[in-house]
Amino acid sequence: MDSIEIGLWVTGGMLVMVVLGMRVAFAAALAGLIGLIWIFWDKKDYELAQLGWALTVAIKTAGQVPHGKVASQALSLIPTFILIGYLAYYAGLTRALFEAAKRWIAWVPGGLAVSTVFATAGFAAVSGASVATAAVFARIAIPEMLAVGYDKRFAAGVVAAAGTLASLIPPSAILVIYAIIVEQDVGKLLLAGFIPGVFSAFVYTGLIIGLALTVKGFGPPVTGFTWRERFESLPPAMPIFAVVIIIIFFVYNPFGGDAWGTPTEGGAIGAFIVFVIAVFRGMRWAELKDALMETAKLSVMIFTIIWGVLIYVRFLGFADLPTAFSDWITSLHYSPMMILICILLAYAVLGMFMDAIGMLLLTLPVVYPAVMALNGGEYVSAADSAFGMNGTMCAIWFGILVVKMAEFCLITPPIGLNCFVVAGVRDDISVHDVFRGVMPFFFADGVTIALLVAFPSIVLWLPSLA
Amino acid sequence: MAGTSSVLRDASLLSALDRSLDVVERFFALISGIFAFGLMVLAVVSVTGRNGFNKPLSGYVDWIEAFMPLIAILGISYVQRNGGHIRMDIVVGALKGRALWLAEFITTFGVLLLMAALVWGSWAHFDRSFDMSAPLWSRDSSIDIGLPIWPAKLVVPVAFFVLCLRLILQLWGYGRAFILGLENPVAVPLIMSVAEQAAAEAEHIQGRD
Amino acid sequence: TEWNVSVWGKRRAFTEHVHKLAELVEQKTNGEFTMNISYGGLSKNTENLDGISIGAFEMAQFCAGYHADKNRAITVLELPFLGVNTLAEEVAVSHAVYAHPAVAKEMAQWNARMLMTSPMPQYNLVGTGKARHKISEFGGMRVRATGGIGEAFRAVGGVPTSVTSSEAYQAMESGVVDTVAFAQHAHLSFGTINEADWWTANLNPGTVNCPIVVNIDAYDALSDAEREALDSSVDESIAYYLDNYGELLTRWDAVLAEKGVEKVMISDEELAEFKKVAGDPIQQAWIKEMSAQGMPAQELFDLVNDTLAKTRAGN
Ligand code: NA
Ligand code: NA
Repeated sequence: MDSIEIGLWVTGGMLVMVVLGMRVAFAAALAGLIGLIWIFWDKKDYELAQLGWALTVAIKTAGQVPHGKVASQALSLIPTFILIGYLAYYAGLTRALFEAAKRWIAWVPGGLAVSTVFATAGFAAVSGASVATAAVFARIAIPEMLAVGYDKRFAAGVVAAAGTLASLIPPSAILVIYAIIVEQDVGKLLLAGFIPGVFSAFVYTGLIIGLALTVKGFGPPVTGFTWRERFESLPPAMPIFAVVIIIIFFVYNPFGGDAWGTPTEGGAIGAFIVFVIAVFRGMRWAELKDALMETAKLSVMIFTIIWGVLIYVRFLGFADLPTAFSDWITSLHYSPMMILICILLAYAVLGMFMDAIGMLLLTLPVVYPAVMALNGGEYVSAADSAFGMNGTMCAIWFGILVVKMAEFCLITPPIGLNCFVVAGVRDDISVHDVFRGVMPFFFADGVTIALLVAFPSIVLWLPSLA
Repeated sequence: MAGTSSVLRDASLLSALDRSLDVVERFFALISGIFAFGLMVLAVVSVTGRNGFNKPLSGYVDWIEAFMPLIAILGISYVQRNGGHIRMDIVVGALKGRALWLAEFITTFGVLLLMAALVWGSWAHFDRSFDMSAPLWSRDSSIDIGLPIWPAKLVVPVAFFVLCLRLILQLWGYGRAFILGLENPVAVPLIMSVAEQAAAEAEHIQGRD
Repeated sequence: TEWNVSVWGKRRAFTEHVHKLAELVEQKTNGEFTMNISYGGLSKNTENLDGISIGAFEMAQFCAGYHADKNRAITVLELPFLGVNTLAEEVAVSHAVYAHPAVAKEMAQWNARMLMTSPMPQYNLVGTGKARHKISEFGGMRVRATGGIGEAFRAVGGVPTSVTSSEAYQAMESGVVDTVAFAQHAHLSFGTINEADWWTANLNPGTVNCPIVVNIDAYDALSDAEREALDSSVDESIAYYLDNYGELLTRWDAVLAEKGVEKVMISDEELAEFKKVAGDPIQQAWIKEMSAQGMPAQELFDLVNDTLAKTRAGN
């Protein structure tokens, strides 16, 4: 049997296991392991005496992946950014942010939902992990929205969707991982995420206000805060801005000098400052332990998917499918823009069944070179390119598009990590409720992605200044 | 994830074993969290050393790589106990009673096969880096300061072994539920807690769905 | 026979001999023996020896400095200031050491057999800021350098700072390191030359050693004709590699001019000083440490020097 056929059978088997309810990480790993056994046995022409050899080699090959792939400096950002989220929660910073947002802007239609979006966007400037952001704001914003009569599904949906902003607005673990996979400048990519992130927040806001104006009894405005109360809400949220400024200096020094370190270090320093604030505001061992356990839980969950998917990716490598795929893409006779749109649609479909980082690890080694080739190669000038931008800019633009797609897949059923996390925080809200509530935001994300594709300058303006 | 499922307990041997293993799993998860915290401290030390005293932490990356398996893998069984690894529950969510326990039994058995294989595979990975006759027992070292890698590699089969124990308990729990036709079996993560089920039913009666 | 070959990164000067080898072998066996070269699809670069040991693939490239404890014997080739001046000399000393029984024995632990080397020129520094001409100016310098080269800079007060090669550019831009030691092709492919203000032309502190190995069982399972085709193609592949890399080196001066990078020549006195502090003591320390572990360290070290002398006498 040729390797493409094996690849299709194994992939089909994985989908069946996922549908039957096997945990996604394990379904991917099991499919990868079975695929490896198959490929190695195929190499020995299915001689029965060689089955033991094929099993051994496949198991040992798969057994390298968990340690080998997890022991990575690049991925060390993930636990750090999850930790910062929980520490900020115990430092009262996220609540302060939400409170300030509420007092200043909750008077608009859909007020608390809009406040949630803005508080989350503000917090996104400190947090680099969408799931942790959603988990933290689920604890703060949902009770308040329920108290003024929001539908619980919509309240949960707002938090799940707004949480995704953390991966576009810098810092962002997933953008750093993209930068490392494709070997592009991390600083410029992070910078490029800022405007699309803020842009997404405004699209969400527009959607919420629109819904509030048309659907009766939907998210009443919250009014009656005095100017005094408004200004009083600012100081408790201030430390967030200090952390934001420090992180900015680690990513990119606005005064033109060297940045102070790497984004990885910036995240860690930010977490440390938040930790000090939390201790100062009364966090003790019991709360710290809770934060550490929650960090462990989310980190392990994400990393299990990562190594599970990478065992499957290792199988794809042995089956030589990536080469077959990129040959196929570059041989297509459609316009580059058409192919790009098809790739983004494929991400939307794939993202239904994948988590964000797993999806990037699975696809980028194949898709990224294909997209760069579509544009005219790594060293193409803007004038000669298919998308009207040089190679570096294309890498940045595509990175932001892909990360936005990855964010989108965090909220799409049946495997939308953010929705699982929000449902996990609230015992009274099921995953199905969250998926129901988040649906309007698919539309908002669709609009955002279409605009980012149509007007690349939204993405490229800021990094082109740097 | 976690909150939508919960693990019931009773006076049976199975439940006792479940709770004993849970102690180990919690301990492992706490180690995961502590090392995540340690990662942050390491970065602070490295940055202050470099920018403040022109003395960067030697082998910073080597230490990160040594920490990561503790953070990312050690807690795997803790998450499995509480049903925290994500999955699609369209099919299992629609099943009830024996059909549900059978489906859970089959997928859990598949995971046990996988993890048993990976205990072997990851042990072999550790074993290749370990040599009793070498200094520090090391036959694989890190790039910068030559840290032995075997301790970090050993974390994986240990964590996976505990996960296998957990999976065996869960198979026992699902098998028992299947044979006895139980509604709320102990020692397995239930898709919805009893309280939630009650709430869901109440909602259903009100006709809101 | 079809072999899987595991290398990493992208196709570059550093991997051209592998492609040439695959081409020659296929030609000589009329397509009976083919090689499927995979860039990172089969293994992580630091685990290529593991993959060979398992038998997951039949041929692989790795670098000694990635994991000294996996390959203690050949780390002799990464010692600073061995005095290797040309790529041809690097090939000669590498292959002499690879043929030593201690190396074969250590590689056999990984079920691996040395096939050929991937010779690299001396790892010179690119740096940002004011050019450093004196060894005393290396004090406090944050340098990205691994293995013996890192040790050499440590000996004169530098601080070896670990970042992966793919993050070297970012580390330089953000000031995490102020200098990076690479071979020329890596300064080009990892972009460190774009960030540089100066390049040391004659510091020549040492290089890294990256062999190509084959799985012993797979090698033994080849037909006589196939094995003959493989063995006889090594020299030709290396020759091709040297030509190709030579072209890159002749282009190098033009690259420096184009990027406005200053070429720093360090005086003979300064070089002698560096060598005195970082050459001999580190070499002797290596011999002592490896001998204590039962390695014929002195023999390996002498082998390098003898081979070097012979190669020069032959020319
Ligand atoms: Na962020
Ligand atoms: Na999804």
